[in-house]
Amino acid sequence: MTQLRIAGLEKRFGEVAAVRGVDLEVAEGELVSLLGPSGCGKTTTLRCVAGFEQPSGGRIAFDGTDVVPLPPEKRDIGMVFQNYALFPHMTVRENLGFGPEMRGIGAAARAKKVADVLAMVQLVGYEERYPRQLSGGQQQRVALARALVIEPKLLLLDEPLANLDAKLRDEMRFFIRSLQRRVGITTLYVTHDQAEAMVMSDRIVVMFEGRIHQIGSAEDVYDRPATRAVSNFIGQSNLLDGRVAGGGNGRWRIDTAMGPVSCGSGFAPAVGDRASAMIRPEAIELHANKTDAGCFPGRIESRYFLGNLAEFRVRMSDGSLLIVQQPAHAAHAVGAEIGVRLPAERAWLVREDVA
Amino acid sequence: MSGIARAKWLLAAPVGAMVFGFFMVPYLNIVVMSLRQPSTTQAYGPGFTTDNFVKAATDPLYVVTLLDTLRLAAMITLITLALAYPVAFHLARTESRWRGVLYGLVLSPLLVGVVIRTFGWIILLANNGLINQAMRQLDLPRLQLMYNEFGVVLALVHIFLPFMVLPLMGAIQGIDPRLEEAARSLGADKRRVFLRVLLPLSMPGIQSGCILVFVLACGAYVTPLLLGAGRVHTTTTVVVHQLELFLWPFGAALALVLSLVGLMVVWLYARLSGRVLRGQS
Repeated sequence: MTQLRIAGLEKRFGEVAAVRGVDLEVAEGELVSLLGPSGCGKTTTLRCVAGFEQPSGGRIAFDGTDVVPLPPEKRDIGMVFQNYALFPHMTVRENLGFGPEMRGIGAAARAKKVADVLAMVQLVGYEERYPRQLSGGQQQRVALARALVIEPKLLLLDEPLANLDAKLRDEMRFFIRSLQRRVGITTLYVTHDQAEAMVMSDRIVVMFEGRIHQIGSAEDVYDRPATRAVSNFIGQSNLLDGRVAGGGNGRWRIDTAMGPVSCGSGFAPAVGDRASAMIRPEAIELHANKTDAGCFPGRIESRYFLGNLAEFRVRMSDGSLLIVQQPAHAAHAVGAEIGVRLPAERAWLVREDVA
Repeated sequence: MSGIARAKWLLAAPVGAMVFGFFMVPYLNIVVMSLRQPSTTQAYGPGFTTDNFVKAATDPLYVVTLLDTLRLAAMITLITLALAYPVAFHLARTESRWRGVLYGLVLSPLLVGVVIRTFGWIILLANNGLINQAMRQLDLPRLQLMYNEFGVVLALVHIFLPFMVLPLMGAIQGIDPRLEEAARSLGADKRRVFLRVLLPLSMPGIQSGCILVFVLACGAYVTPLLLGAGRVHTTTTVVVHQLELFLWPFGAALALVLSLVGLMVVWLYARLSGRVLRGQS
């Protein structure tokens, strides 16, 4: 069981800074996702940990030992690639036996390990197949088995589910997660899919433009996003821009164009600062009577039926548009004048950028 | 026959006619010639005989020459492979903006005829060539750089390099760089990544490059003639010598024996390397 520590990691490719000061600790047996849009530096961070990229600055330590000077083959990592990178000229057995063989493990012990790991990924009977004779999902499980068979200190997964179709992807999320829990291996998981990150991770690291914007649980990043970018990237959000009017003890009042809005905050802003309150579409309440207490007047501009939900576009008095989600059969007609309530406990103050 | 099928035949017709008229017919003529008696007044005399083949396949002089030719061709093939692989690897993987230029440089020897390039090597390697002039200036002993196998091999390796680089490059470009990373992550150092992943996956390119260069080396004539200057005998130079002696039927038999033995070597090689290839395609 290994603890991973990344401190002040930087990576530049010529003029381009791909990673700009990443600090992260992953505890023993923890699964941490690096989540963000393409080009945010998540894959570069992973590749620095694997040893495929040499950092321009910072430290990477496994259990307190600096691994930056070590080549990938000395780091004792198991890696799963987006395209699986199975050796096409080797059978499943040979692919799985490669790692143990490189570690000088004898033929008998190797066969035992391969058999064990095949059972673990439920591929017994596929030993003599070549990768091209396997389906995408099976290739993915072989790739996972090949990374695990060497009992590495750290498991690194680079968008491992991106090439699978939607149904298989959902199954594999749970498969990988339960396998990771069973083996108890410290895991770093790169993805651009927020649902994947939320289902699988103990903690999510949200990255933009080479920097970490937030580290937290799925609830943290969804309900209490640290920055505007996080709230926009994860799920849908309504952002109400204004200035801080006052408050304290984690509850602040923002003067917005439509009126004063109360929200929670993880930091203490200065009164008069520009600020934005974020509220999720499903947190907003719609009242048939627009004069109900605490309501802003609005008018329903459109309504979409999403199966499990109904989504409304509501035009507010100041001209802004809010996205609101309600139970699927909520009976608000297009054109209706309604009251819109923004519950303070579901509204959250977000920063423009990382502190 | 449908219109498309007819069009296919029509499109293939010019090439078919070329191959038949300028390749099959002369080749058949050589086969016929090889079974004839020699003549000093025409290509061959009347009557049929197998003497030419018996002499070509049993006379130690010609057998040794044939074995020398195959040995030289094999040596040239191996040296070319060793030199071409790193070049092909770099060209296949480079992201340099000079990539096109590098590619052109590899192909550039093909722009100059083989005779010209052979003369170029003579200027460098001759007893009073550039290298030996420099040696004399430095009071160093003269080096025997041509009129021997060394010069022939050196020049032929240079001439055939592009024929090895191109197929190798094609094969290496088809190898996903992630495979190297996967092997590294599993504990393989660079040497073992090469031996266990890159080399086996390069085999299709190695196979075609080696066959190409081996066949070309077996058939090389101008370079062994000029750089060997009568001291390096290959079957091709001996064949042409027979023509000068008006022994055209025997020359034809020698040429056919070289072709047949060369083909057998290629076939054996393809079978052996095919075993390595299996399970990949």
